[in-house]
Amino acid sequence: MKSKRSISRRQFIRTASTVALVSPLLLRGQARTVPLKPGKSRVILVRDLNVLDENGQPRQAVVQEMLDTGITVLTGMSDPQGAWKTIIKSNDIVGIKNNRWPYLRTTPEVESALKKRILEAGVKEPDISVDDLGVLQNPIFQKATALINARPMRSHHWAGVGTLIKNYIMFIPDPSVMHPDSCADLASLWGLPIIKGKTRLNVLVMFTPQFHSFGPHSFNPKYVWKYYGLMLGFDPVAIDATGLRIIESIRREYFGEERPLNPPAKHIAIADTKYHLGTADPEKIELIKIGYDKGIFV
Amino acid sequence: MIESQCMKCIGIFVMSVVAIALARMPAMPETVSQFNKALPKTIDGWKKTDPPTVYAPGNLSTYIDGGAELYLSYNFKNALSLKYTDSANNEITVDIFDMGSSYDAFGVFAHTRETIDTAFGQGSEYAAGLLTFWKDRYYVSILAYPETAARKDVVFKLGRGIASAIRAEGSLPPILALLPEENLMPESVHYFHHYIWLNSFYFVSNENVLDIAGDTPAALAKYRQAGATFFLLLVRYPNGVRAAAAADKFRQKVLGGTSETIVQLKEGRWTGIQVRNDLVCGVFSANNEATVREFLAKIKS
Repeated sequence: MKSKRSISRRQFIRTASTVALVSPLLLRGQARTVPLKPGKSRVILVRDLNVLDENGQPRQAVVQEMLDTGITVLTGMSDPQGAWKTIIKSNDIVGIKNNRWPYLRTTPEVESALKKRILEAGVKEPDISVDDLGVLQNPIFQKATALINARPMRSHHWAGVGTLIKNYIMFIPDPSVMHPDSCADLASLWGLPIIKGKTRLNVLVMFTPQFHSFGPHSFNPKYVWKYYGLMLGFDPVAIDATGLRIIESIRREYFGEERPLNPPAKHIAIADTKYHLGTADPEKIELIKIGYDKGIFV
Repeated sequence: MIESQCMKCIGIFVMSVVAIALARMPAMPETVSQFNKALPKTIDGWKKTDPPTVYAPGNLSTYIDGGAELYLSYNFKNALSLKYTDSANNEITVDIFDMGSSYDAFGVFAHTRETIDTAFGQGSEYAAGLLTFWKDRYYVSILAYPETAARKDVVFKLGRGIASAIRAEGSLPPILALLPEENLMPESVHYFHHYIWLNSFYFVSNENVLDIAGDTPAALAKYRQAGATFFLLLVRYPNGVRAAAAADKFRQKVLGGTSETIVQLKEGRWTGIQVRNDLVCGVFSANNEATVREFLAKIKS
């Protein structure tokens, strides 16, 4: 049995062999980096058994520690404040795009942890907003210079899985226009002027991902899995593709056989091959795993 | 002991009241709205909150965010949604979907069914606070999260009441009758007429490689023989020409353009496809050629 102590960011950094990268989304001149191999995307997976309390609710302090660990490793900086300054400027107007699905939401703890570090990066409180359904009407999102994309992964009756790519669907007035062919073209959203080039960080919440849908509301507690994870990166496709591998592995473990998502989450692969939003190819993803490693699946 | 017997009596009484209230309806509900009149105003301390909402195809997505397309792909007509609340504002949500036909009510129910259970309606499933069942052209969901024994009891009472109010039983899609029964895993039987659901158990293709559409009822089921599982697909086309064209497309897109009936695919598993007049039959992912041949031959005509 692994220790239930929270992982220490310094502990990890002491033992990590490579911790820095260049990303086109880093602010110019602020990165203290070692380049990734060309064509690779880096995904950070942080897991901590202590993130959920006895009622299955996230613990704020542990969430903050996981986020801080992830962002420092992702950016190659030694502290979270320095890390955030590589992706957010003090004069940015920041929209945190969450997901408010009542059964499995981004969680206030993640939103609060993000907001805390964005404030520390010098952004004024009135220039930060957290929203989901109201982004098109929200003045902060309307004039945002930076977006933080944060949501949990879950199985989805029509898209296969709810993903970071899909999380921007509320930036169009009629989301149903994305539905044909099981939401195959969701990545096209990322070319909209209100989104294009603004995403500074993607956070896929994997504390309790939902791996199977049941009933009209798609949710049943029987089909959520305590995974204790948080994934971060600049490439939403790489994170989603890695999250999808985890969901598929959980399904295999739970059902005891191959049980492909129904329908398949084709929009992730299409985001790579058609829209070139990022990479879905595991060979092109550098996955850095931190913390609890039992049942990690990837 | 006496207390427990009393509770049992009260339970039976309440259940009878629900059943009587629902059974008082002069005839089977002709619209989903009529279920609202029949459902009790209160049950075990839970009060029905008004007004209920009726959803149509055009606004279902405003209610079941992300899930509406599944129902639309099964010809959804409309749905009644209402809630019961207790003194602590906990909710029980009752959704009654009119799918237009018993075929589609079965189809949408079977889409996520994991077990065979006929405790409610013509087939039901209960898991962790959510009861779903189908009867005639209706698909019903009663949801009470988080699950408690008392809430489960109310969910079951409401379920029994609604099931008894739907007087008729609907028939199953005729194409299901063609499935061989031997080695069939009955809980796996799926019915659909939208190509998206072709990949339900086994990934076939991201494309509509069999030209499945609203006028091509399809059945998909899982079989287990000698410890190995494989899948059987039947698609009925309006005519033999379309069936042959669909099979040709499948051979081109999935089987690498072969004219063979049975082929071994890259992963070492065997797949076969056969046309019988207006019916296309497929066996996927068998571990040997003989199994494919055997089960293609067993498909009823």
